[in-house]
Amino acid sequence: MSAVSTAFTARQLPFRGGTVKVVEAGEGPVVGYLHGMVGLPSGELPPLLAELAADHRVIAPSLPGFTGSSYLDELRVLFDWVVALSELVDVCGMVGAPVVASSVGAMLALELAAVRPEAFSHLVALAPMGLWDGDDPVADAFGTTMTEQRAMLTADPAATARFFDDDPAVTDPAERIELGVSRYLTRTSAASLVWPIPEHGFDQRAHLVRNAVSLVWGTADRLVPPSYSDRFAAVLPNVAGRYRVNEAGHLVDWDRPIEVAAIVRTALG
Amino acid sequence: MPYPDLPKDFPDRYRSVWVDIDPALYDPAVGHRVYNEYIDQLEYAASVGFDGVGINEHHSNAYGLMPSPNLIASTLARSTSDAAIVVLGDSVALYNPPIRVAEEMAMLDGISGGRLVAGFPVGSPMDTVFAYGTNPATLRERYHEGMELIQQAWTRDDVFAFNGRYNKLRYVNCWPRPVQKPHPPIWIPGGGSVDTWDYCAENDLVYCYLSYFGYKAGLATMQGFWNKMDELGKPRNPFQGAFAQFVGVADSEKEAYELYREPAEYFFNSCLHVYAGFADPPGYKTPNTVRSGVEGMVERAAREATARSEAKAEAKAAPKAPRPAASQAMPFETMVEKGYVIIGSPDQVIEKLTEVGTSMNVGHLLTLAHFGNMDNELVRHNTELLARKVLPEVQPLFEHEWEDKWWPKPLPTAQRAEPAR
Repeated sequence: MSAVSTAFTARQLPFRGGTVKVVEAGEGPVVGYLHGMVGLPSGELPPLLAELAADHRVIAPSLPGFTGSSYLDELRVLFDWVVALSELVDVCGMVGAPVVASSVGAMLALELAAVRPEAFSHLVALAPMGLWDGDDPVADAFGTTMTEQRAMLTADPAATARFFDDDPAVTDPAERIELGVSRYLTRTSAASLVWPIPEHGFDQRAHLVRNAVSLVWGTADRLVPPSYSDRFAAVLPNVAGRYRVNEAGHLVDWDRPIEVAAIVRTALG
Repeated sequence: MPYPDLPKDFPDRYRSVWVDIDPALYDPAVGHRVYNEYIDQLEYAASVGFDGVGINEHHSNAYGLMPSPNLIASTLARSTSDAAIVVLGDSVALYNPPIRVAEEMAMLDGISGGRLVAGFPVGSPMDTVFAYGTNPATLRERYHEGMELIQQAWTRDDVFAFNGRYNKLRYVNCWPRPVQKPHPPIWIPGGGSVDTWDYCAENDLVYCYLSYFGYKAGLATMQGFWNKMDELGKPRNPFQGAFAQFVGVADSEKEAYELYREPAEYFFNSCLHVYAGFADPPGYKTPNTVRSGVEGMVERAAREATARSEAKAEAKAAPKAPRPAASQAMPFETMVEKGYVIIGSPDQVIEKLTEVGTSMNVGHLLTLAHFGNMDNELVRHNTELLARKVLPEVQPLFEHEWEDKWWPKPLPTAQRAEPAR
């Protein structure tokens, strides 16, 4: 499949006193998407969604606090986030669909699957966080400079320009400041999910994830070493497939969207 | 309380003085010596006329060897008799549960006979979210909840339940109770957050700007606090403000340059060598502070350290090229010119400190008589000159016009216990 769909809608849905942004694109069978560290930056569709929208209806909520969704003080610990995600998949109409989830989004999806397996069918997990091996630790994405963090997230730092760089089309100073605040809150929310160590006891609950899970890792992941694919495979009871993407970093879907879209199609049959 | 023996090439060989500094650099024998010297120096300051002696809290840090200020305060509470014990302070969010802070400070107030100033910083990002692993997104909420718990514990006359988000205590009962009523004066050390201005102004607490960079750079920050007071229609009582300033006194300006050059350069070039990646973790600042664009003190320290390192790297890469302007270590003359350090003869220092007090409108001046790797003898010399020749001229500033409502009110002398020697 080579066609790329760039048409999309971005709606603001009421959620717990604020709103969440939900991006939808394409026609076909529904596939959900839970973003990673950089959320769903405004402007164009994230590259993986543009690929998948060619033959799917993609539903992608921006998690609370991330790009375009209200920051919710009440989300303090993992339990709060999992309950919120459970509510969110209902609100945005993706419950029961297959889901592609990245990084912190994949961590939350796995946690939700452990307590509510019917929330998703198949889960394609792109470099999930949630396990920890002190001899081979996950890197610290937030005890770094912004430049270093960006280099840690993707093999090609330009891949996430839409998130990290100011949009030259936005010239109003006040709007630029608010975009900066939004970016800061996105990073805050991502950090909050994994601070100080991205491990919340998932290995005690992993056996409850009966959903088929496909594991995808970039070979150049500097944040969560590719060896973590083995660790997840060791604790998940129903691993449907494992994939490596060459020259891709942690946000494998931003580095290599075409390859990841092909993997998703293979994984979902 | 800096560690005084970092290698001369520390900024070249190590990335940060804070958080991940090499443990092998710490010599326990040096630590033993300087802890005792530092306590001696504080006791000496109290004995020669300082109104109070101040201490603070840092973690995993080679310029602040004081993870627990309360330990040092407890020795000072016994060994001094009149000076205020200014704890600046306990990082409330790091104590679990914060009732421990209420208890220990009540103990300090009890041992000292009511001489405690209770300082409560949010804490630097390096201390709180890196060294102590607190989630930056919840740090301030934890802090405010802890502040509420501590103040209730000190002031309520019943045993009560506290059902917070982070602290759930069925029985809160602070024994002992503080000597000072309703509680010791509360000072809030800040590093440039606009929310700290708001918190102090709204709750009638002292805003205490612990700046590294002196009075010239600190003016805008203090002005931000006073603007908030104006906005709320509250008086600009200078005693609701406090400011920290490095000071070096000598018999002459020439001698001051000779005496204080090395310790100042050690402090600013090695002790503030902070890795930029630790200075601004996401969530540490509130959206208001992000919007304001105010640069925190630690961010500035890290930015300047990065600039120095980059300039060195450039110079190394092109050794024959002329050194860039911001190159290498900051010279002492620049520190003096920018007001990071006030030095001079007693008259010169009196003039400068008077300018600090009046321009910033601060009634509590925290004169840092020790900085960097200053040796014990020089600290005592500086302390004595400050106490005998400078402070008597500066102390009366404001005291006839304003009431200091934020200074300890100890027990009458006749009621105070005398430590047995």
